Amino acid sequence: MEAIYSIPFKVLECPNLKLKKPSWVKTPSAMFVYAAVLLSYFLVTGGIIYDVIVEPPSIGSTTDERGNSRPVAFMPYRVNGQYIMEGLASSFLFTMGGLGFVILDQTNSPLTPKLNRILLLVVGFVCILISFFMCRVFMRMKLPGYLMG
Amino acid sequence: MADAGVKPEVKNLLTNPSGWTSLLTFFILSLACLAGFSSRLFAVIRFESIIHEFDPWFNYRATHYMVTHGFYNFLNWFDDTAWYPLGRIVGGTVYPGLMVTSGTIHWLLNLLNIPIHIRDICVFLAPMFSGLTAIATYLLTKELWSAGAGLFAACFIAIVPGYISRSVAGSYDNEGIAIFALMFTYYLWIKSVKTGTVYWSMLSSLAYFYMVSAWGGYVFIINLVPLHVFVLILMGRFSRRIYVAYTTFYIVGLVLSMQIPFVGFQPIRTSEHMAAAGVFALLQAYAALQYIQTYMTKTQFRNFFLLALAGAAGLVFLAVIGLTWLGYIAPWSGRFYSLWDTGYAKIHIPIIASVSEHQPTTWVSFFFDLHVLIAVFPAGVWFVIKEINDERVFIILYAVSASYFAGVMVRLMLTLTPVVCVLASIALSKTFEIYLKDEQTKEEKEKEEEEQKEEKNDKLYDKAPKAKKKGEERTIEKSKKKEKEEAVGLNVKSIVIIAFLMMLMLFAVHCTWVTSNAYSSPSIVLATYGQDGTRNILDDFREAYYWLRQNTHEKSRVMSWWDYGYQIAGMGNRTTLVDNNTWNNSHIALVGKAMSSNESAAYEIMRTLDVDYVLVIFGGVIGYSGDDINKFLWMVRIAEGEHPKDIRESDYFTPQGEFRVDAGGSKTLLNCLMYKLCYYRFGQLQLDFRTPPGFDRTRNVEIGNKNFDLRYVEEAYTTEHWLVRIYKVKDMENREEKKLSKKIKRKASRKTSRNKRGSIKNKPKIVKGKKPAKTTNKKKKN
Repeated sequence: MEAIYSIPFKVLECPNLKLKKPSWVKTPSAMFVYAAVLLSYFLVTGGIIYDVIVEPPSIGSTTDERGNSRPVAFMPYRVNGQYIMEGLASSFLFTMGGLGFVILDQTNSPLTPKLNRILLLVVGFVCILISFFMCRVFMRMKLPGYLMG
Repeated sequence: MADAGVKPEVKNLLTNPSGWTSLLTFFILSLACLAGFSSRLFAVIRFESIIHEFDPWFNYRATHYMVTHGFYNFLNWFDDTAWYPLGRIVGGTVYPGLMVTSGTIHWLLNLLNIPIHIRDICVFLAPMFSGLTAIATYLLTKELWSAGAGLFAACFIAIVPGYISRSVAGSYDNEGIAIFALMFTYYLWIKSVKTGTVYWSMLSSLAYFYMVSAWGGYVFIINLVPLHVFVLILMGRFSRRIYVAYTTFYIVGLVLSMQIPFVGFQPIRTSEHMAAAGVFALLQAYAALQYIQTYMTKTQFRNFFLLALAGAAGLVFLAVIGLTWLGYIAPWSGRFYSLWDTGYAKIHIPIIASVSEHQPTTWVSFFFDLHVLIAVFPAGVWFVIKEINDERVFIILYAVSASYFAGVMVRLMLTLTPVVCVLASIALSKTFEIYLKDEQTKEEKEKEEEEQKEEKNDKLYDKAPKAKKKGEERTIEKSKKKEKEEAVGLNVKSIVIIAFLMMLMLFAVHCTWVTSNAYSSPSIVLATYGQDGTRNILDDFREAYYWLRQNTHEKSRVMSWWDYGYQIAGMGNRTTLVDNNTWNNSHIALVGKAMSSNESAAYEIMRTLDVDYVLVIFGGVIGYSGDDINKFLWMVRIAEGEHPKDIRESDYFTPQGEFRVDAGGSKTLLNCLMYKLCYYRFGQLQLDFRTPPGFDRTRNVEIGNKNFDLRYVEEAYTTEHWLVRIYKVKDMENREEKKLSKKIKRKASRKTSRNKRGSIKNKPKIVKGKKPAKTTNKKKKN
């Protein structure tokens, strides 16, 4: 076996070379992965792909009865259309709701003192509630007939 | 849903909790199935038991054919009434799983002497399968997390709008059964990764076979499973279990998937499937290296290992590229390619971009289809990442890839929905566990923690106890203080729980609202509601198709835009030129060209295609927005793609770049065939006194070109609300009569050179005294 290995080295000379794995290459930590996933989630649910393809304006505008143009944040009555800002705002709410659940989970760890625990609980809970109800408000602005009739 | 809450009570009450648990599980699952089934029946209750939309009509027609003619005749079916003059080989271009499933049910019921029409089976197939999907999701979540989370997931998937949108009663489409097949395959795959037995991986490849036979989305499985294996190898989690599971799954799944005629040799010849083959080769190399490892020392092996692995990966990659280059492997198909390069379809394949369900997704669709789950979903990912193991890697990969794809196409929201349900249920069940636990005594808590430890994966096993011990020590120290805290905590916690329950209730309300308002219209029967809530049914589509069926020759050919091809074939039973199976772009472009050119040019195309009738959908009278004028730009674009010299999109816009049908619109638009067919005689119609005659309610304008006559087609039929208009293409006109001049020519009796019957046209005249060559020269010059 050794003889076979050494055949090429009768002709070739081993270079004195030391390859090292660069120090920045390592398996990413779980939380780094989660942060990356969350960021991409934020972008995707905000319809970033729609924004890239369709290229809508960031905020729309209408003219009211006096002829003044007013900015409109939401493209009403259209499920298949959006402005850039409304997408980002609502995907921010989605992400905030998700983080609220994560914070709620943190309150359970026995290491946190009482005050922090209550604070975390309140913060997490408020996050979830705000995101939930703001989403409903957004939906009302988007589809004025939402949940009616 | 309240399983997690009821459990502890039951435990205290009864000596044998396992029996109660399974009874409760059974009860909740059957309730979920029932709720899922009944919430999909809105359309049947409001209208009637009818097939919806476009594609289901073809599926129904094919199923009907299969039931009457037998399975083998169905596989060999050449449909000469579609894609006239080309025809369509139906057996080889269809995923037969759907038809076979409903055919089997029909056969079984008839065997039991239960007479039922095949249509009713087709209508109710998707709701029935939604129950099976709920059970499959329960099993998957149970494998990934716990039975409680599984019950949550089953309840979610039963009513979530993202899935209901494709599986209401009457929407008889591949997706209805494919989601069940998808979830079941994933469950069996997780099971086989967990156990590492051939038995489970054989079962998973059988489920995969069913999926392949049912839906083109099987490509998602055959890429996700190898990705899972690949990531596991990268994470250093390779084991014998994974090797057994994947090799069995890949080989058996490959052979089985090639049995479907429509798939054929694709699994070994197209790029979509190459990832699976590459991972298979890589897995072999990795296992071989591990085997060699036993014969080598550690240092030798470390160098050898990295080199060999990199070499193997590179070799596989180069082989795939080389084979693609040589043409043995087909490059990615356009539909698949547009998932990566999102602008691709818009530029190159207008026919893909024209379908509304291929549009990119906005935030509303996410919220509309998933509601609160969309916010709980990231938390689920958090819990899963925190306690990672082999099978949870899979669900993370599924979550990440599916949410990206859902962002690219509205249609792929369907594949995202199950994973959102699974992960959201994990997050919710975990949270509920935390906030409901206080009712337990301390001892029980410790017991449970120990149990959990035992269940945990070997990798975490090393680290977990240290942290827990510290925690336990502290909790013991704090236990005296805690007694007071708990009293406060209990109230807060119950508030939290109640708030969550309210949220879930609102979720259910939202789901029902969306289902009833957005996803339950058959779209071939329209309903409008008056001021006082009375309902008017607009049955124009069926009226028109029935007219076609009764009043036209059975061999006559109907030209329409491709959206209505399946319906004309299914309800009208007439030959169509193009239909929803958009396999031949140039044929569709020809129809698009006919629609968008002027009458005489269109007539030529229609003559060459043997068209007898033209059918257009016109919504201007009732304000129906999905009509042909609104789709018209896509016809122009598709026609332009194939005939750039004759059709130009810019001709159909005003100089300001607007698409208008009023007097300001472009001349080309106001004179094209589609415009004329839609607005013929519309200028004489005054809908109410506030608007001028010829006022289009869909686009809210008065039309530009009112008074015109049709020369080559004549109106054959217009439905009650003008929604469908059918025109007959006139036969060739008689030759124009030669106008006789008043002078009657006397026929010369002499046979001069001109009056000879068989004279040659350019025969050189010979005049005496002139050279014949000159005259010919002159003629040439002229």
